[in-house]
Amino acid sequence: MGRRKKIVDECERLMDEPEQIRNIAIAAHVDHGKTTLTDNLLAGTGMIADEGEATKLMMDTEEDEQERGITIDAANVSMTHEYDEQNHLINLIDTPGHVDFGGDVTRAMRAVDGALVVVDAVEGAMPQTETVVRQALREGVKPALFINKVDRLISELQEGPQEMQERLQKVIADVNELIRGMTEEMDDVDDWTVSVEDGTVAFGSALYMWGVSVNSMQRTGLDFGDIIDMERADERQELHEKTPLSNVVLDMVVEHFPNPVDAQPRRVPRIWRGDDELDIAEQMQLVDDDGEVVLMVTDIGMDPHAGEIATGRVFSGTLEKGQELYVSGTAGKNRIQSVGLYMGGEREEVDHVPAGNIAAVTGLKDAIAGSTVSSVEMTPFESIEHISEPVITKSVEAKSMDDLPKLIETLRQVSKEDPTIQIEINEDTGEHLISGQGELHLEVITQRIERNQGIPVTTGEPIVVYREAPRQATEEVEGISPNRHNRFYLTLEPMNEEIVEKIRLGEVSMDMPEQERREALQDAGMDKDSSQNVEHIYGTNILLDDTKGIQHLNETMELVIEGLEEALEDGPLAAEPVQGSLLRLKDARLHEDTIHRGPAQVIPAVRNAVHRALIHSGVALLEPMQDVRIDVPNEHMGAASGEIQGRRGRVDDMYQEGDLMVVEGIAPVDEMIGFSSDIRSATEGRASWNTENAGFEFMSDSLQKDKIMEIRERKGMKLELPEGADYLD
Amino acid sequence: MLTFIGLGLYDERSITVEGQAALRAADAAYAELYTSKLVGASIEDVAEYHDADIEVRDRAGVEQQPGEILDAAEDQDVAFLTAGDTMISTTHVDLRLRAHERGIDTRVVHGTTAQTATSSLTGLQNYRFGKATTLPFEYAHGGNGVPQSVLDTIADNRERGLHTVVYLDIKVGRGPDGDDPAHEEYMTADHAAGQLAEHLPDTLGVVVARAGSPDPLVTADRLSALADREFGDPLHLLLVPGDLHPIEADALGELADAPSELVQY
Repeated sequence: MGRRKKIVDECERLMDEPEQIRNIAIAAHVDHGKTTLTDNLLAGTGMIADEGEATKLMMDTEEDEQERGITIDAANVSMTHEYDEQNHLINLIDTPGHVDFGGDVTRAMRAVDGALVVVDAVEGAMPQTETVVRQALREGVKPALFINKVDRLISELQEGPQEMQERLQKVIADVNELIRGMTEEMDDVDDWTVSVEDGTVAFGSALYMWGVSVNSMQRTGLDFGDIIDMERADERQELHEKTPLSNVVLDMVVEHFPNPVDAQPRRVPRIWRGDDELDIAEQMQLVDDDGEVVLMVTDIGMDPHAGEIATGRVFSGTLEKGQELYVSGTAGKNRIQSVGLYMGGEREEVDHVPAGNIAAVTGLKDAIAGSTVSSVEMTPFESIEHISEPVITKSVEAKSMDDLPKLIETLRQVSKEDPTIQIEINEDTGEHLISGQGELHLEVITQRIERNQGIPVTTGEPIVVYREAPRQATEEVEGISPNRHNRFYLTLEPMNEEIVEKIRLGEVSMDMPEQERREALQDAGMDKDSSQNVEHIYGTNILLDDTKGIQHLNETMELVIEGLEEALEDGPLAAEPVQGSLLRLKDARLHEDTIHRGPAQVIPAVRNAVHRALIHSGVALLEPMQDVRIDVPNEHMGAASGEIQGRRGRVDDMYQEGDLMVVEGIAPVDEMIGFSSDIRSATEGRASWNTENAGFEFMSDSLQKDKIMEIRERKGMKLELPEGADYLD
Repeated sequence: MLTFIGLGLYDERSITVEGQAALRAADAAYAELYTSKLVGASIEDVAEYHDADIEVRDRAGVEQQPGEILDAAEDQDVAFLTAGDTMISTTHVDLRLRAHERGIDTRVVHGTTAQTATSSLTGLQNYRFGKATTLPFEYAHGGNGVPQSVLDTIADNRERGLHTVVYLDIKVGRGPDGDDPAHEEYMTADHAAGQLAEHLPDTLGVVVARAGSPDPLVTADRLSALADREFGDPLHLLLVPGDLHPIEADALGELADAPSELVQY
């Protein structure tokens, strides 16, 4: 333990030297070897035993992760690495590769300045690689590339130098194309493309723990040819000792990723929308450890002893035990009980954590993943953007009534830890709903409830989440309050796709300054007058107030918004969420006295008006889709494409890649339930496959009515279409 | 025939003789108690005293499903009862119009109402009142504090030298957390004065409590002072006088114990 203590002391010393800190994440497609690489780095820096083959999977701390062999929650470690005669503190966030857990990836990216992109040399850049790199670049995080599993090219596929070079260059070119596309219009970024010559690309084998880069070749004198010879001759241990992967990768990290002092002046304006004239803006840009405390929480974890642990990036000031800090979105302050750093799966308490570091904090009971925690009240960091919306729901019920309160508490906890999970508590029926990114995502969450909290639960069949959306513009529609003294007149039209996308990505929101929102909307094609009338944004729907000078409307607007939200939360067809509606309030007639235009009058009037407008607009059901990619030996290709086509799916492409065929297509999420066992039996277990959420599409007209009735029946609604929706018959 | 009957201000005996006759003659009677309420008698007391069956309808039962009342009124004599007067401050003209749409005859039997009782009890002249307003519970209007329209109404009236009646919110069957049949809450005049005093601390206010009962109370003072007093059982209302005519000033001094420095003319 003496060695560990030394490392801890060294970390504590280094955390006060921001120039010697690197905050990084590893991001890759599932199974491309990210977790093995992380363990390599830990072993190489003495954090865990060097066992020759890094298969211990130190980072996968949850039992279910180790069983499944995939990483689920972002876990955090710190390590030290000497480079250029100077020691460095490297704070590393491991991120999940499976798309079902995409929210974690985005959150991790906000806390780091560099992203090590890991790509499997054999499989090349995959759709998921693209998603993850996009998430990194969007947050202003600088990429570098590590191409893994090169040993397989050499030993397994027996490729010659020429062939190998072509293959590796293609991987680099694919990644660069993506980087170029994303950064072209970022004026705060120079050329971020990666290249072997610059040293921003490294190769190696995480399994056999060796690596190579321009830098290492100079240092060790081993060139690529030598490496091929040694790997062929099975001299892997020697290779590892001569040119260890951890050195190659960490050298690249230290040399090419910015330290906080270099990164924060550029990143703070990108990820924080507050007034840049304020002191706090300067303190964050300068990584001022004497400044106001600003912590951006990226993750909430549970520790059986310490309770909730908030992890995040300290952008300015110094965190200390006993501080009373504001938590964005909540009233009052929370008191810090302890502060610490991460070491492998463990947390080390320290007495302070200054700006520039990743900290682990207890006592922030109101914080959720995404909160801004600060010593002065401030504009929070923009709401964390989630690329994926929940597409699947399951009911969860406690087997024993006694567990009910505990289950509710656990569900609330779960949604705090992972904001891509949505929960709906129903205390009357005891049947709670939990929504997430995919079948696996929900399966993992329910297993955790059973295992970690010891609450036996029964879960229902997975239910797909649908959407309702308008198809054409309407005339003016009237909504009348129950007492008939209040009337609202509005129109509805489908919103243009570009605006919907901007709202989804968080590039247009009510949290941003009005001027900025107007410009973003105008860029996306909204006319100037409309962009000035935005009253509310809910989901991907916008309410414009086109009225002028109506007495009492301003104090009624909150109720109008409540009615609007109710209507959009539960659409008229099947009480599914509404998306992509642009509503214009054209006129309103209100009762003179507040008492006769209260919630009981205004909310139903607006709700009915919105629902009637939706029906006039030909509202129809949309279903979530998934992109599907199957890698399969030639002889099973027919069976594999059949599995897509047989699910109301469409095969878009089939091509040879290496010794495998790749089948790419798209299918409804609804039909994809149970896909994993079906594809296994159809291909004798030879297929590997991957899905990615691909947004929502209108269902074909012939399926609309049956699906609507099916949902209505499940929800206990009347089994008839709402009045006026007979166009769906 | 649908007859709208005002029950008057306080208990089963506040109804007019004409109203009593109409109620007794009716084949069916409906009452709504969500806009106002008789404080001195329950609806059962009213039914027993007048020997009538009275069905109480909630807001949804009047506003959203008026069909039953109107169906009955097609071929029978139906009475529709509210506390006070059926057409003052409430919104039942809508029900009357719906009846007319269906060709049903209607009639109104007036009741005494807070609107006139305030004039009667305080001596403030009926001719010198501006627009009335209602102060809602904070949770009930979707905002914080006093709605701007309430303050605007008082300010506009005062600018023109006119008095303002401020009715105080009544919540029956719906509380802060939504529908709740057991919920019954009456805003008190001290609470209302406290809210208004945040904007108009030194302004004269007049509290009228339990108008129409055997022990009505009328008190005038600064709004900030009224906020610290208690006025007993409901119902209460609050007046914010505008300019005072000499006789009005004398009346407030004599009938409402107004501090003399507040009622100079």
